[in-house]
Amino acid sequence: MLSRGSSPRRTNRFAATGIAGVAAVTLLAACSSSGGSSSSGGGGTTSAPASSAATGGSASASPTGTPVLAGGNCSSSSAHITFWAWVPGMSRAVNEFNSTHPDVCVTLQDPGAGTGEYVPLNNALKAGTGAPDVAEVEFDLLPSYEIQKYLVDLVPYGANKYKSLFAPWAWSQVSQGNAVYAMPSDFGPMGFYYNQQTLAKYKITPPATWDEFAADAVTLHNQNPKAYLINFPANDPQWLMDMMAQAGAWPFQYTGGANLTINWTGPAQQKFAAYWQKLLDEHAVSAIADLSPQESTELDTGTLGGAIYSAWAPSYFAPNVKHSVGQWRAAALPQWTAGAKVGTDWGGSTYPVFSQSKHPAQAAEFSEWLTATDQSWSIVKTPPSSLFPTYLPTLQSSSFKALTYPISGTSQPNQVFSAGALSIPLTTWPPFMTQVLTQGATTFGAVVNGKQTLMQAFTAFQQQETAYAKSQGFNVTT
Amino acid sequence: MSETALRPSAPAVTPPSTPGKRRRRSAYARRQGRAGLAFVTPFMIIFTLIMIAPLGYAVYQSLYTTKLIGGTSFSGFANYSTVLQSGDFWDGVIRVIIFGGIQIPVMLAIAFFFATIFDLGVARWGPLFRAVYFIPFAVPIVVSSVMWGFLLDPAYGPFNHLMNAIGFHNFNWLSGNLMIPSIIIIAIWEWTGYNCIILYTALKSVPRDVIEAAILDDTPLWRIIVRIKLPMVRPAIIMLVFINTIGAMQLFIEPTILNNYQAGVVTNTWTPVIDIYSTAISNGQYQLGAAMAVVLAVIIVAISVASLGFRGRRREQ
Repeated sequence: MLSRGSSPRRTNRFAATGIAGVAAVTLLAACSSSGGSSSSGGGGTTSAPASSAATGGSASASPTGTPVLAGGNCSSSSAHITFWAWVPGMSRAVNEFNSTHPDVCVTLQDPGAGTGEYVPLNNALKAGTGAPDVAEVEFDLLPSYEIQKYLVDLVPYGANKYKSLFAPWAWSQVSQGNAVYAMPSDFGPMGFYYNQQTLAKYKITPPATWDEFAADAVTLHNQNPKAYLINFPANDPQWLMDMMAQAGAWPFQYTGGANLTINWTGPAQQKFAAYWQKLLDEHAVSAIADLSPQESTELDTGTLGGAIYSAWAPSYFAPNVKHSVGQWRAAALPQWTAGAKVGTDWGGSTYPVFSQSKHPAQAAEFSEWLTATDQSWSIVKTPPSSLFPTYLPTLQSSSFKALTYPISGTSQPNQVFSAGALSIPLTTWPPFMTQVLTQGATTFGAVVNGKQTLMQAFTAFQQQETAYAKSQGFNVTT
Repeated sequence: MSETALRPSAPAVTPPSTPGKRRRRSAYARRQGRAGLAFVTPFMIIFTLIMIAPLGYAVYQSLYTTKLIGGTSFSGFANYSTVLQSGDFWDGVIRVIIFGGIQIPVMLAIAFFFATIFDLGVARWGPLFRAVYFIPFAVPIVVSSVMWGFLLDPAYGPFNHLMNAIGFHNFNWLSGNLMIPSIIIIAIWEWTGYNCIILYTALKSVPRDVIEAAILDDTPLWRIIVRIKLPMVRPAIIMLVFINTIGAMQLFIEPTILNNYQAGVVTNTWTPVIDIYSTAISNGQYQLGAAMAVVLAVIIVAISVASLGFRGRRREQ
């Protein structure tokens, strides 16, 4: 489980600290085994398609000491673009771009997932030198870079002509006012991911509404006091906020500038909190860390019947599945209003161009090629990248929807997730999401322990976030 | 049992000269002085660049505040006032003091016990066991924390199975009440071997004639250990208390890793260093983080000075 720290889709940042440490150990081992193979010039070798850190060649020439995974053999006449990303298998797309764009030469480096990349990225941006031209940045963190004016507006480089090619939620995430600050790549529409056999055992069919869901959770737990329909990971603010979006209880409004709305205590938010607190009180849901070894094992062994997961779940969860291969199915999210079709998103990445770039036009060209061409998507949708596209031509293609995965047998989970992808309520993130996620993990963690109710935690969080935002100079309204 | 001449507290090399006041120094002494300066300079340059300068910069930074809206401005001691009034920060300080207050004495007692056994030479394969006990110290703390995380895992860890088997149901080693005891166990596992080796070396340096005299006086073995050997290795023990205290105050890796196995116990302010990390890195408040680091450093220096004062007082007796 811990070795999944390099998941492309999402990172649990607090956990990533530890994971990065483990990854660093692995990386050190990889470096030492390839030590001495230092090459002159651009550094690194043109990696084979299935490149990994171990085959990435020398790190000696890179400013961050990070292995070069693709590119690196640039001719002096081409524009040199440095690109940071942690999605595995990205070197395949970079090599394809380099071979079809002789005037641009992209060098790919992988500084590590999440924090592994953001910390050196933030340092380089603050220092004013050493940042890449293009880097992978998750949706929720884009406003944090926008507010510090670290990003290049891509509109002058033709970004708007791709607008119609993307899922509306994804495009709204990368735009602020008239500017477009990144190109969206993958995302994670959410659904109810369940073990068909476990649910059949308890005579439960995927619930259509949250009322049915609550009843099913109680039914299952009454039949087997050791088992639960799902885990409620209160400690994971990202999951929680994404579920709030679906419930029409999104707690932040931010569209740039100094004004920020924070609302964790309104009627919609309290209704959401009360719904889950009731299930927690009835012990109808378990409350353990999500994406943890324990959760994976309980899903695999049937202690948990399912999970509210996202489109990337199959590839994230699959390596840990031993007993339940082929039994997993995806269903649409339960609805707050019967008959509605509201989805939500969990995670996903964008590719902005940084203002330090000396070749913004070429960097934008690369970012647009990577996210908005069939050529690129034919590569990055396949393993090991397995990106779930915001790019409509791929998202809506029948071949993508028909993909099957060993863990889900002959079923086609992308049918469900693709449908959910177009009904995601628009959301805006506060420009300090790392603070929200770390503080949230602590504040909502107290709910997992039973020290606080979810409603109390929401009230506490309202105060904590308001205090932090004010200390950062924002005008806060509720 | 022959290397009795080595004493850790004795200076290994006597200074080349001890010039008296106002006495003209010989040409030889001056040459020596210049040579000494030449030897020391490279170290001092690097020490200044990577230690003193960043330290000064941190103190300088701690006097400023950067806001996302409004930019950077001089804020005097505002950051320090925030730290001193932060209940979370002081809760963390108290937590690591409790942690160290239990972990260090228990670990030193175990380490002294094993060091004595090795020193007495009663155990067969002594060198082998010394090496075995030292191995945990050679395992990176991140790796050992991950390993212990799986051992103590609430649902599937063997240690929880063990507790269930002997009648403690729903036992959780990583629950809110047991997180500190569990980390104490991990820290003892990690550090006992290292402390044992230091104490073993110190015990080896206890003069043999003292012990022989005691044996001739028919002193019982336990009295030799407790009344003669233990006092004679006190400088080593005080040094270990000192080093371990500094380490305990900076507790970070173990709780951070264990947080991946048990949600909601380790908060973002659980220890002072975790608090500094989340303030600086997650919250982007580098200057407030710098102020917290300065306050923590002052606390550590205060504890160190107190322990050195204790050492000095005991020496005079």
